[in-house]
Amino acid sequence: MKVNILDIGSGNISSIKNWVEKANVPTKIIKNAQHIESDLLILPGVGSAGSYMNRLKEGNYDVAIREHLANGGRLLGICLGFQIMTQHSEEDGGVNCLGLIDGYVERIGADISHNGWESLQFRSNEMNEQSFHNQHKLTKKRVLNGRVFYNHEYGVVNNEHDSFSTSVSSDFSQYDGLFVKNKIIGIQFHPEKSQITGLDLISMIL
Amino acid sequence: MRIGSTVLLSEQNCIQSYEWRLKRPLGRIQGVLDSLEEYQCDEVAIIRPVRENDSFANFQKDIEVIKKLSSMTPISFGGGVRTLEHLKLLQYLPIERLIFSSAFIEKNEKLILGAKSLFGHQAIQCLLPITRKGTEVWVYNSSKNNYISLTSVDTEFINELANEVILFDITHEGMSNSFDWTLLKNMPFDSKKIVVSGGIGKGDIQKAQVNGIASVLVDNKLLHQEYSILGYKHATKLS
Repeated sequence: MKVNILDIGSGNISSIKNWVEKANVPTKIIKNAQHIESDLLILPGVGSAGSYMNRLKEGNYDVAIREHLANGGRLLGICLGFQIMTQHSEEDGGVNCLGLIDGYVERIGADISHNGWESLQFRSNEMNEQSFHNQHKLTKKRVLNGRVFYNHEYGVVNNEHDSFSTSVSSDFSQYDGLFVKNKIIGIQFHPEKSQITGLDLISMIL
Repeated sequence: MRIGSTVLLSEQNCIQSYEWRLKRPLGRIQGVLDSLEEYQCDEVAIIRPVRENDSFANFQKDIEVIKKLSSMTPISFGGGVRTLEHLKLLQYLPIERLIFSSAFIEKNEKLILGAKSLFGHQAIQCLLPITRKGTEVWVYNSSKNNYISLTSVDTEFINELANEVILFDITHEGMSNSFDWTLLKNMPFDSKKIVVSGGIGKGDIQKAQVNGIASVLVDNKLLHQEYSILGYKHATKLS
């Protein structure tokens, strides 16, 4: 299994690498769009939507990400990496995003920030109804039941049909915490910082 | 409400500190983080307790230690981040949030905005080391090694650029159940963005819960008792 982690100069790559490698799967950090060659490509996300999209375009990563999906690869976006998969984000005065998910990103509330832990529960067969399903059967776990760490001010509203998603929390039920459709998975929380639940999740994803 | 821990990093090792002056060695930071992760600590704030004489070379040495950390617990880091040059070194660290103190007190907007561009607004925390002198609250500015009145700090600037504000009671640091809650009286920040630290005990955690505080950071005591974090979490349920 080949896992690539995209490095566009936007933080926290080592935590993502540590998270995936705890499942005994090697990773490769990609700093050139032409070097993407993997079953699973991870888009980490730290920063703001405007500068993130600029960096993606400057490095031709936007084209490479679409090619990766067209070639049957799986794509995982974390936090801002998930948000920029939608069509539009209202951050930084409005930013056109990759448009891989029918949905948009909005401020979760004026002067509101969501920093903390929320529960996450789902059954693996719900996620596996999508073509994203865990191909390598690293775990026999059927139910994920734990807590995950959020640190965000913007949330994803998805308009997709036939996708699998869980909401951030009862207070932020309009926003997706976990989203899966076809070969795309988006995660608003930080799985790499979600302790035991994060480890369970990566085994279920891979 | 989150329940986390403050960890002090001095000359590449952890230390315990009492009342902002007495220091005792605590060992390697990776060992401390491993213990806290095992206790399911919600977050860890790693702070370099530096003064005006901190050098860039010392900062670099501490960064090398942070760079090698392996942890699945959310980490904030700060202490001595004073220039864009310092900021550049933080870009690839396994941390989620940045803590600025003097930069907020001295209104170093360029530095804070640079951090916001790299990490996002949700990642910016302001640390105010505070103490009461008479009827007034005073803030310690580490880059100048002096105290100034809270009334002379531009709190609007902090409200605008900081996602959360850590109020660190330096008089009661390292003590138990002794956080001075009068410090919060007339504090011009929404309780939802306040994090308290310094002398936090189980009774303080109950008060924090009642007051709608975002997070509490327990200091030295957390590392003295195995699984003590569970006791602190239980305290919130009793309140």
